Amino acid sequence: MNSPLMTKRINRVVAGVPALLFLLAVLLPSPKPAKAIPAFARKYGLPCSACHVGWPELNNFGQVFRDNGYQMMNERDSPITRDPSYFPATIRITPQWHRESANNQPVNNSTSESEDHTGTLTTAGFDLSGLDMWFAGTLYKNISFSVLPSSDSFANFHFENAFVRFDNLFNSSWLNVKVGKFELDLPVSEKRLLTLSGDGGFYYIYHFSPFGDQNPFGGIGDNQLGVELVGHNANSYTRYAVSVLSSNDGGVGLLYGVPPSPSEAGNPSGRTYDVYGHFEQGFNTIGNGFMKVGAYGYFGYAPTFFETSGGNPIYGKGNEPFYRAGAEWKWYFNKFLVKGVYLHGYDNAFLANGIPSNSGSLKGTGNQAAIWNGGFIEGQYVISPQWIMIGRWETVHMAQQINTETPGNLGNLNAITYANRWYPFMFSRAGLALQQEVSWVRSNGVTNQGGAYGSLCGDAGLSPTCKINSYSIMLGFDFDF
Amino acid sequence: MRTKFFVVLFVLGLASSAMLVTAARPAASGTITGKATFTGTPPKMKPIDMSKEPVCAKEHNPPITTQDIESGPGNTLQDVVVYISAGDQGSAPATTTAKYEQKGCQYMPHVLALQANQPQQIFNNDPVAHNIHPLPKANSEWNKSQPPGSPPIDTKWEKPEFIAVKCNIHPWMHGYFAVMGTSHYALTGADGTFTIKDVPPGKYTVTAWQEHMGTQTQEVTVAGGEAKANFTFKALPY
Amino acid sequence: MALSKKITRSLMLGAFGVALAIPGVAVAQDAGAHAAGLTGNAETGKQYYRRWCVGCHGKEGNGEGENAPYLDPKPRDFTEALFRWRSTPTGTLPTDQDLYDTITRGVVDTLMPTWRPLTPQTRVDLIAYIKTFSPKWQTQKAGTPITIPPEPPQTIDSVLHGRQLFDQMQCWKCHGPEGRGDGPSAITLTDDKGEPIRPYNFHDGTRFRCGETNQDLYKIFMTGLDGTPMPSFADSLKPQDAWDLVHFLRTLQPNVPSTSRTVWLDYVKTHQGQIKPMGADAQGQ
Repeated sequence: MNSPLMTKRINRVVAGVPALLFLLAVLLPSPKPAKAIPAFARKYGLPCSACHVGWPELNNFGQVFRDNGYQMMNERDSPITRDPSYFPATIRITPQWHRESANNQPVNNSTSESEDHTGTLTTAGFDLSGLDMWFAGTLYKNISFSVLPSSDSFANFHFENAFVRFDNLFNSSWLNVKVGKFELDLPVSEKRLLTLSGDGGFYYIYHFSPFGDQNPFGGIGDNQLGVELVGHNANSYTRYAVSVLSSNDGGVGLLYGVPPSPSEAGNPSGRTYDVYGHFEQGFNTIGNGFMKVGAYGYFGYAPTFFETSGGNPIYGKGNEPFYRAGAEWKWYFNKFLVKGVYLHGYDNAFLANGIPSNSGSLKGTGNQAAIWNGGFIEGQYVISPQWIMIGRWETVHMAQQINTETPGNLGNLNAITYANRWYPFMFSRAGLALQQEVSWVRSNGVTNQGGAYGSLCGDAGLSPTCKINSYSIMLGFDFDF
Repeated sequence: MRTKFFVVLFVLGLASSAMLVTAARPAASGTITGKATFTGTPPKMKPIDMSKEPVCAKEHNPPITTQDIESGPGNTLQDVVVYISAGDQGSAPATTTAKYEQKGCQYMPHVLALQANQPQQIFNNDPVAHNIHPLPKANSEWNKSQPPGSPPIDTKWEKPEFIAVKCNIHPWMHGYFAVMGTSHYALTGADGTFTIKDVPPGKYTVTAWQEHMGTQTQEVTVAGGEAKANFTFKALPY
Repeated sequence: MALSKKITRSLMLGAFGVALAIPGVAVAQDAGAHAAGLTGNAETGKQYYRRWCVGCHGKEGNGEGENAPYLDPKPRDFTEALFRWRSTPTGTLPTDQDLYDTITRGVVDTLMPTWRPLTPQTRVDLIAYIKTFSPKWQTQKAGTPITIPPEPPQTIDSVLHGRQLFDQMQCWKCHGPEGRGDGPSAITLTDDKGEPIRPYNFHDGTRFRCGETNQDLYKIFMTGLDGTPMPSFADSLKPQDAWDLVHFLRTLQPNVPSTSRTVWLDYVKTHQGQIKPMGADAQGQ
């Protein structure tokens, strides 16, 4: 009945159908790409998908390019090898519609009453993200740079990064030195996140601060000012990074942190230095896969009181330590990516409670160091270079609160994010991604921004049984040029 | 009376055997002859400047001209390849070796017609090095150096094709290998005429190829004698 | 009954023929690829090609990607099955390993990156897919890699003989007497697509496009770079001669330290007036 010849013929005819469709696709007119180009794609003539799983997230090829100092290492990297009209600039912004809601929020209906009950707050509408203007590339062979003036959605600008990097010192890929302001060599880069919503557009563990914690350090997700030594082998399967940073959480003018607005100066920093280290090792696995494991740690200091002049603080003193450390695991195989990062956080007792470290022992006060553990697991399904689905679960769990009186699980949170990201075209010029994202965060007793900014659930005081659920829904048009 | 009978029988026998012989021998092979000419004004052939290779420049005084169109009196065309492109009933394999020579920094002949799988030898008879760089599409491209005094290069071509040949060291050198799928081909001479021999009677499509002016095709019927097929190319000044 | 079966059969064969007539992508046979101890699959390679290669090499593998008009040199046209950097003789197809090595190494002084960050399996799958762009891979087998004998010592005799060969073979006609790519024929050179192409400049260069070892250099002129003006000298040079030429060529590269260059520079110091200039014999040959 089904002779081998017959089956073969059927297979061949069926095989012909996709070819016919392919022909049609080729014959139908395709949109002409725009002439201006995201920096690197234009310079090297590669589509965005060459270096990115889906921009802005890097794949290993892109990681090697970045590790080489934004160089392909084929003697065509220095800007003098390019037409003078080439300019290494890219902009990116995401117009969007989004809806944010959170329950158990203190609500006050009447002007004469204090907050007397809780309710669900919901806002929705069209909005803008901040704008990134990114200039990066090579100044010369083996000297690279990046400058990224970035704004919030109110067009308040700051320097997200600004550095010069000396690549392949002594002709070795193991020695590269970067000086300036930059994102730490994190296990998973937060600046290249594929989720963008209000509740899902960042990694909580990179910014988490326990309830009431006075440590101004914003987390390893903040870009820092300092010098970094980075090395990698030829295919970046083995990488290490060591940074020495000013203890100012990336704040300029020797102030701590990025001021919320130019008129509000932050506190001065403490004339100390933080250290960050990261090591990772990759190896090939089944399923044409590639696995990476690694460890990282940030060891820092922040001031607990200040030297003053005329009542104004001029520099920090009484520096007390804190650290964030952990491990990572990533696995790429076939069309899947799985990433996991674990973080263990510690803030010294004086620092966490905002007590000057020269004020005596904390014994018997109930004040103690803040310790917590957290992590996330993120899975991605790369259906094609132009379509990615992302799902992530993240959790933070307090091991020790800043004070013995504080309920043990206050501030714990769980977050789940799902995003669908589709790129209608994938050229070497401009890029566009249509983003659909939902995110849900549940935190115990405080809104998901803990620490000094956390607000309590309702009016019942410290009530970890009161769970705050926050949702984000976002439809975004993320484009770069 | 008897003798007469035998004489008649003998004559009849002779006649019938003569007829048998004639019937047994196949119908006489014909030839296709003709002339290749052009109408219109062809581009001017320019003298070749061989000053970069003084040894060769010395050999040509006055300098030779480019050979894209080799025309003669009466607008005749030399080195036009005429061949049976359809209807060929069978062709004999080649028995000789086709020879191609580099002399005076020139290819001799300018167009070499040979059969597929016919052995070919390429000679360098100059005191300078050449490289032989045929540019086929259907056959495999190769590129070989031939320093002065080297032995000839032995090669052959599997697929019928018109192959441009050049020397990278001497950019003015251009030639062609016309690899034929049939033994029924001919090259026009200096007077523009050609003769294709040993063509069995039948209907054929005959094509004439000129490197610059393209191809012309005709239907030719061969009936055992001489079939005529003239080809007239249209020349444009560029 | 038999007749209608026959008709059905011929109709299906006709449809089969039509399907075959549709340009090759879906029906191209997967010849597979074998390199680096792995086997590659063209269907898998296709998705990698779309991610990494299509921007330059084009959807049809003909070097007409969207970026091609802005690139110099132009990306390879895979439909011709004509490859420059091989271990096989001129006029033959490269081995899968040759193609794999080219992808892995990248091509210096061009915009073809080194694809080493891709896993070996990915690279072999890409090779398998690239081979589907030309039917020549079905009808011809890859050539047999040439034998490279062990390298003899880099002595001054070897270098001097190599220099003599450079003169006799008239390499300087294109590469120039000092190997700067400025020989008399250099500016007229074009590649197979008619694009201007320059001979390798030994004086400024460090790596070659096909590698950086003496063995790679040996292969270049003993297999020729198909698709370029660089011919094969396999018919003109014996292996010992070829090694002598390799040693001499290394003396032309001040940016690449080598024993050959050291012994040559020593020789030049002590034999100042005795070295015949290159090309002097051109008239006398």
